[in-house]
Amino acid sequence: MAKGNPVYILGGAQTDFQRNWSKEGKTFLSIMKEVTDDGLLAAGIDYSEIQKLNKNNRVAVFVGNFDAEQYATQGHLGAFLTEVNPAFNGVPGGRFEAACASGSIALDAAATKIRVEDYDVAIVVGVEIMKTVNSAIGGDFLGTAAYYEKEAKGIEFPFPKLFGKLADVILDRYKLKEAVFMDALAEISRINYANAKRNPNAQTRSWFMNKEHAAARGGENNMAVGGRLCIADCSQVTDGGALVVLASKKYAAEYAKKRKLKLGNIPQIKGWGHRVAPVTFEGKVAESKGNKFILPWTKTTVDDAYTRAKMSVKNIDVFETHDCFTSSEYAAVSAFGISAPGKEHEAIQKGVIDFNGKKPINPSGGLIGVGHPVGASGVRMMLDLYKQVTGTAGDYQVKGAKNGLMLNIGGSATTNVVFIVGR
Amino acid sequence: MSLVNPIGEEFHPFSIKKKSFQQTILKLPSNYRVVAKKYSRFCRLEFNTIVGIREFMREIKTVTIVGANGSMGAGSAAIVAAFGEAKVHMLARDVDKAKEGIAKAIKSVRTDTIKSRMIPGTYDKDLAKAVAESDWVFELVAESYAVKEPINAQIAKARKPGTIVSTVSSGLSIERLAKSFDADGQKHYFGTHFFNPPYKMILCELVSHKGSDLKLKADLGKYLEQKLRRAVVYTNDTPAFAGNRIGFQLMNEIAQFAEKYQNKGGLALMDAIMGGFTGRAMGPLATVDFVGLDVHKAIVDNLYEFTNDSAHETFKLPKYMQKLIDKGDLGGKTGQGLFKRSKSADGKREKFVYNISTGNYDPYPKFDIPFAKEASAKIASSDYKGAMEVIKAAKGLEADLCRYFLARYISYSLSIVGEVVDTKENADAAMGFGFNWVPASAFVDLLGGVVETKKFLTASKIEIPQVLAKANPKETFYKLQNKLDARALFRA
Repeated sequence: MAKGNPVYILGGAQTDFQRNWSKEGKTFLSIMKEVTDDGLLAAGIDYSEIQKLNKNNRVAVFVGNFDAEQYATQGHLGAFLTEVNPAFNGVPGGRFEAACASGSIALDAAATKIRVEDYDVAIVVGVEIMKTVNSAIGGDFLGTAAYYEKEAKGIEFPFPKLFGKLADVILDRYKLKEAVFMDALAEISRINYANAKRNPNAQTRSWFMNKEHAAARGGENNMAVGGRLCIADCSQVTDGGALVVLASKKYAAEYAKKRKLKLGNIPQIKGWGHRVAPVTFEGKVAESKGNKFILPWTKTTVDDAYTRAKMSVKNIDVFETHDCFTSSEYAAVSAFGISAPGKEHEAIQKGVIDFNGKKPINPSGGLIGVGHPVGASGVRMMLDLYKQVTGTAGDYQVKGAKNGLMLNIGGSATTNVVFIVGR
Repeated sequence: MSLVNPIGEEFHPFSIKKKSFQQTILKLPSNYRVVAKKYSRFCRLEFNTIVGIREFMREIKTVTIVGANGSMGAGSAAIVAAFGEAKVHMLARDVDKAKEGIAKAIKSVRTDTIKSRMIPGTYDKDLAKAVAESDWVFELVAESYAVKEPINAQIAKARKPGTIVSTVSSGLSIERLAKSFDADGQKHYFGTHFFNPPYKMILCELVSHKGSDLKLKADLGKYLEQKLRRAVVYTNDTPAFAGNRIGFQLMNEIAQFAEKYQNKGGLALMDAIMGGFTGRAMGPLATVDFVGLDVHKAIVDNLYEFTNDSAHETFKLPKYMQKLIDKGDLGGKTGQGLFKRSKSADGKREKFVYNISTGNYDPYPKFDIPFAKEASAKIASSDYKGAMEVIKAAKGLEADLCRYFLARYISYSLSIVGEVVDTKENADAAMGFGFNWVPASAFVDLLGGVVETKKFLTASKIEIPQVLAKANPKETFYKLQNKLDARALFRA
């Protein structure tokens, strides 16, 4: 168990990632309002309870958001739950940013405050509205998650290109046959889309994808966007929000008693890891030269979490990973310890990471299938692990899941955050 | 007790469990399976007590699309080839048209991978062979008995027992269309009403007629839902089925009101009153213009002739619409209809609206309707109940009309339960998935629940449907929240 007091998860909600809020005439604030209403309702905490907790300074708000300044011309999102409901007047709050790992950084801050008993309840909201601009402008905004001046300025869609380079390095360092590797990437895409079909909140739940299409790269229907990577290898631009409620042991015990639950049945954060790698992709590759792991800091982050949880890959029943592109999920397979580095394709082809496999990755559909509203993704992963270990994931429930691990990354695997959740 | 197999032989209701034994001993065709009740073991032998034999739908591996060149034919074929991974015979009048259909199909679902599974052909040369080897024949030719019945006769001739045949018809009698087939064909005949464009609009109304095999209907429904990823609504063989019955009732009644209030704002005013804040992406009359006045007329005329419910008079086509149809001004597809769009000399887009009194196209007016503005602002901030409160409390003609239309929509949607659909969820899904309109049941909750909605209906002198009258006021009325988030359908 991680040091300090335990951190419990009381539940939450996400928005339907299929929605285009700009088309609906709605804003980032509408996302925050709906996800807060839904999340608190799902966790069984009403606004009067927030007011009651706030009287004694027991509750705080942590908002994960990457870039509302550019997408919505609005900063200071940590203050905006006061616009959602006056019950949040006076509740401490802040906005946390670490590119695509913004949600996890908010979770990390929230968990820390619970661990040291500063607060008893932490409301963690991840939110991003992205369809306010066209894909070229949005691509440029996302470029600020890399080293903009060196890696993104004047480049169309910089991120697919960076993760396309990751694919190149994987091929080169592990001396893989290109056909085998590309087939494994297509399989990752297939699995994520197929899993998303079971998830009622997935962006792509009605989209067509199969292995044949994922593997048929090039042409106008599966265009190349970054080196070897094509549209089917990418997560898509998504609007959405997610919320989870974290709680101290003291509060979780009160909560359990009121609901006649066993405290032991409420999931906890059992381990965590957080490491930052060199910002530029070139810097990462240079640093890891000669290393079996191309992204050693990602691997270290996973190991840190295992150590803190006193667990290994053997104990994990379900994974949620950051498949912004198929190449990032590919690299995560060995970082988790599911395969040796360089042998990821074998695990993938054997069906190990498939929904019914031994180590299912992304039963939700992952970023590729469920969608990737940047600042919300980390919180959405935590919510999905909560659902999995409480047996409430509905059609995408992994049977008997007790412990789950999530990896959320920012930039080109620059910020790495891992949480292990279990009962 | 003894039972009879499909070829009329009697057999004892015990059988060795292994399926291959059942198929040979009981002489069952591959799509027949025993329905077992009790399972027992004796030594190393396993037994099932058979309670019956039933036909299951054949696995859909090969499909014939009849009318493959139209947008519905090509779009539906794309779904079957892509999601269904089936081999698809694309049939049209000539082979070039069939090829056009294939190109359209690929474009609609954006994958080249279906190309190798699509075989172009013609009715004259290829239909018989294609139908004979198909598990499902999906007919999407023009919406008239005169066109469909001769094609059905051709299909019936070539069809093998066990093959499903369905029509995309949005309003013809499925029972009558089924009559082109023999007894086995009638059992396997259904309506599969896809919506346009099929990749985006995932609704499929699955319509059975008196002679349909209901177990096969359930199998087909499962296939449409699970394999083809459709949102399936199960309806009876009643005029216009569920979606169009409800949708065109409201659109035509609003069109009638536009005539009545032609000097107070006419068509444009009606769409302003029933804007996005009332739970739709497009104004009801803009929708009529989009689908075409001819299609609208065909649907409401059919409903006027063959239904006789409390909304009967609201299916009468307004005179001005007939006038436009006579002139060939059918809507967006012919350049003008209820509305007209053009570009000014300096390239600016301009929108005009048909003036019912003068017959001219006037510049599209802007209305200042305070309650509509206020309700829209509530929607923009996701305060949906707040928006409904604004509508409830507003004063004036526009507000009265808005409440009347909403009340009518809620009442009429729920009133078809029993006659057209078995449950209100089917009516709700039809409107949500087929029209992108907020379903009636979701309005009931947003208006404040069952009791408040009854008051809302009564205030507009609209009758309270049975489903609402009998509802438990303590329960949430809308049950599809996890499948269809109604909030997403309100536009600010």
